[in-house]
Parts: sequence; structure tokens; C-alpha cells
Amino acid sequence: MKIELTVNGVARTLELPPLLRLLDVLRGPLGLTGTKEGCGEGECGTCAVLLDGEPVNACLVPIGQCDGRAVVTVEGLAVDGAPGALGRAMAEHGGAQCGICTPGMMISAEALLVARPAPSAGEVRHALGGTLCRCTGYERIVDSVLRAAAERRGAGEVGP
Amino acid sequence: MSVADLARYELAVPRALPEACQLLAARVASGEPTLLCAGGTDLLVELGMAPPLGAGARPPLCVDLSRLPELGGVERVDRDGPRIRIGAGVSYLALGRHALVEGALPLLARMSHDIGGPTIQARGTLGGNLATGSPAADGVAALAAHDATVVLTSVRGERRVPFAGFQTGYKRSVRQADEIITAFELEPLAPGSPWCWRKVGARQAQAISKVAFAAVAELEGGRARRFGAAMASMAPVTATLPATRALVLGTPLAGLDGEALDRAVAADTSPIDDIRSTRAYRAHAARALARGFLRELGAAV
Repeated sequence: MKIELTVNGVARTLELPPLLRLLDVLRGPLGLTGTKEGCGEGECGTCAVLLDGEPVNACLVPIGQCDGRAVVTVEGLAVDGAPGALGRAMAEHGGAQCGICTPGMMISAEALLVARPAPSAGEVRHALGGTLCRCTGYERIVDSVLRAAAERRGAGEVGP
Repeated sequence: MSVADLARYELAVPRALPEACQLLAARVASGEPTLLCAGGTDLLVELGMAPPLGAGARPPLCVDLSRLPELGGVERVDRDGPRIRIGAGVSYLALGRHALVEGALPLLARMSHDIGGPTIQARGTLGGNLATGSPAADGVAALAAHDATVVLTSVRGERRVPFAGFQTGYKRSVRQADEIITAFELEPLAPGSPWCWRKVGARQAQAISKVAFAAVAELEGGRARRFGAAMASMAPVTATLPATRALVLGTPLAGLDGEALDRAVAADTSPIDDIRSTRAYRAHAARALARGFLRELGAAV
């Protein structure tokens, strides 16, 4: 099946079996290995990507349903080839430890911050509720997202 | 795991409902197996866990329902009174955000925020939840509590099935192989009326419930003039609690007896021991959930 989509803003035309998982297409033919496979059955959220701006588990999306749509992976969150505020905050404030869940956490956080530039800690927890981390205990991830939100707002402090 | 087999499936992508119905009718007539895919949150898991296809086997054709405009939308309609029509393909994310759902169907809005996590909510649909037929389905319990009408469409036309007549057994229903679940029609809850959505599970997000409880009520003169309730994971199908409903509707709230309520709940359910919970715990939780909601309604139970 012919599939035309944009991935991280770049138009792509693919000829692939339509039920291949978006996850495998990203990591295989497209070489975007930032997206990780955790459970492969929609339980862990590690493979989250944005599909037309909404966070989805790439392990549960057949590539044939992506025709005409826009996918953003963790690589697409970079700014001029370097981590943006979210990536920096995750690195600097202990939000990333082993790193496997980090791309999924960042994608889910990005979806939240686009919709809610000044989220509460509770809103961050809800937004990340579908992504499992086995290292951090979540506190530092929530803290990192709040700090990134503050930096993006230019406020320079954690709030509200 | 047979994720490798996914490369062997074909996908048909109809762009409108009549085209999808014609395709499905032709497949049924020729005896060729077909799978329907809306958000894929169940289907991709099931295909991944299915046994390997075998070298010469031809997989079923997968039909994509996600491009059918007729399966979208939430709107007010009039059908023997005001109803909210919800397209079977509307995602939980869209449902949870919809002003009409928040205002007239608050239980459904709350359930939509609680099912899976945001990545599941962005893809999962009520139609898919019902079609899959799991007795643990959160969305289906919410539909059952509202006595939703299920709208089925095929080349033979459209038909409406009351929720209570839809499920016929574990993962079985009255849906014919050439029919697509296209919409649900729900009666709005009177503003300010009590409702309850509770998931009892290992954790709040991303865990299938040990028991889920959905209920709505409208009160008048010390009685419930409307009472709809359902439980997930308490029977081979979504439990619609007919004895419990009859007891509550037939008794002034002040006269409701807790032990009679417990007996009705027990008669309405048949919990089992499984990987998520035990029969005894489920029975206990079901009694507590029903009593808790009835206490909110003013009953001394």
C-alpha cells in the first residue's frame, strides 16, 4: 500500500504492507530509533508519538492508517538539532535515568504543554499516566516537565 | 507473538459508510473472513498475540473504519424524546472534551478520562470497545448504565438495538457479520442528577479493572424515577443488574434494605477468580459500590 505522510515535518512516501506497526516503520525503514518498544501491547506508553498532534502508542497504529497524517517522534522535538527545554529539563533534573521511557514521557509531555502551557502537577501526572517508568518514581519526571513548562513560558520558575 | 505476520495482511480503506457496508456484504457473501479496525487498540494486540498464520494461510482482510465520516460526531437528536447521538468512531479523547458530553452525559465524560491512559484515549472508541466484547470494557459499562441504543448499519439498512438485548454471551452479540456499529443514542441525564463512575483496580491508569461500576439516577419525591447501573468484570457479559434496578426503582429510597440490595447485586452477577482478582473480592467490591451509590442517593444502606 502506498502511504504518504509527514514525519517530523518531512514529507515521506512509503510502499509498505499496511498493517505494519508504525513503531516498526519508524525504527526500521525510517531509521528513527528514538522511539522505543517496551511492552508492544499498549500498556507502557514508551513508544508514544504524536499523530496529528495527539499522543498515541506507535505499537498499536497500523501504518496504513497514517496515510495523509503527520507523525512527530522524539527526534522531532529537537530544536536546531539540540534538545529543547523539555529534553534539557529531563537531563538536568533527573527525569531521565535508564532512558527507555524518556521518549514516551517527552511526547506525552509535549502534547500536554502545547494544549496547557502552564499545567498543574496533577495535570502533568494525568498526561503521563499512560507511560510507565521503572526507575525514577515519577517525581523527577513531573518536576522536569513543570520546569520545562516554566522555561517555555519564559517565567523562569516552577509554577503555578 | 506473530507481529511478523502483520506484513501479510491487506487493508481496505473505504471513505464512506455505504462503501464499507457493500464491501462487508460482499465479503460475507463469499465467505471470506474480515476484520474491522477503528482505533486498533484491541485489534493490534490480538493480532500480535495470535498464533502464527502458517505458510500458505491467507489472513483475513482488514477494513479500516477510521475514515468513515458517518462514524464521527456528537449531536443532539430527537428520538422519542431528546437523545445524544455519539458516533461509534469518536475517540475517548474527543468524548471527554466534548461540551455536550460533559453537560448531558457526565458519567461518560468521566469514564473517557479514566480509560487506559491518554495514548489509549486518543485512539480507542466506544464502537470498538463494544465490538470487541470484553466483559471488562469500561466504555461498555457506561453505555449499559445509560441503556444506550446501539445503531447497526449494513446494506440492508439501519437497525436499533437496546443495550440490554445486544450482548448474548461472552464476546458474542446480535451484530451480524455484515453490520457495522455506527452510533449510540443516549438519554441525557437531568442537570445536577447523581451519577457514579468507579474503577476498582491495581492502579488508576492503564490497568484493567477488577470491577468497574457505572450508574446514573434521577430522583423525585424520595424515589428514583430513573436508575441505570452496570458493572464490568462481574459476569461473562457487561452486567446490566436487572434485579438491582428493579429493587431500587420499586422501593422508596428511605425504605431500601441493605441486605436486600446485596442479594440483588449477588443475583445479578457471577464473578470469577482470575489473574486480576478473586471471586470473593469482586463480590465484596460490587456490594460496596452499589451500597455507596445508594447512600449518595439518600438510602440508609
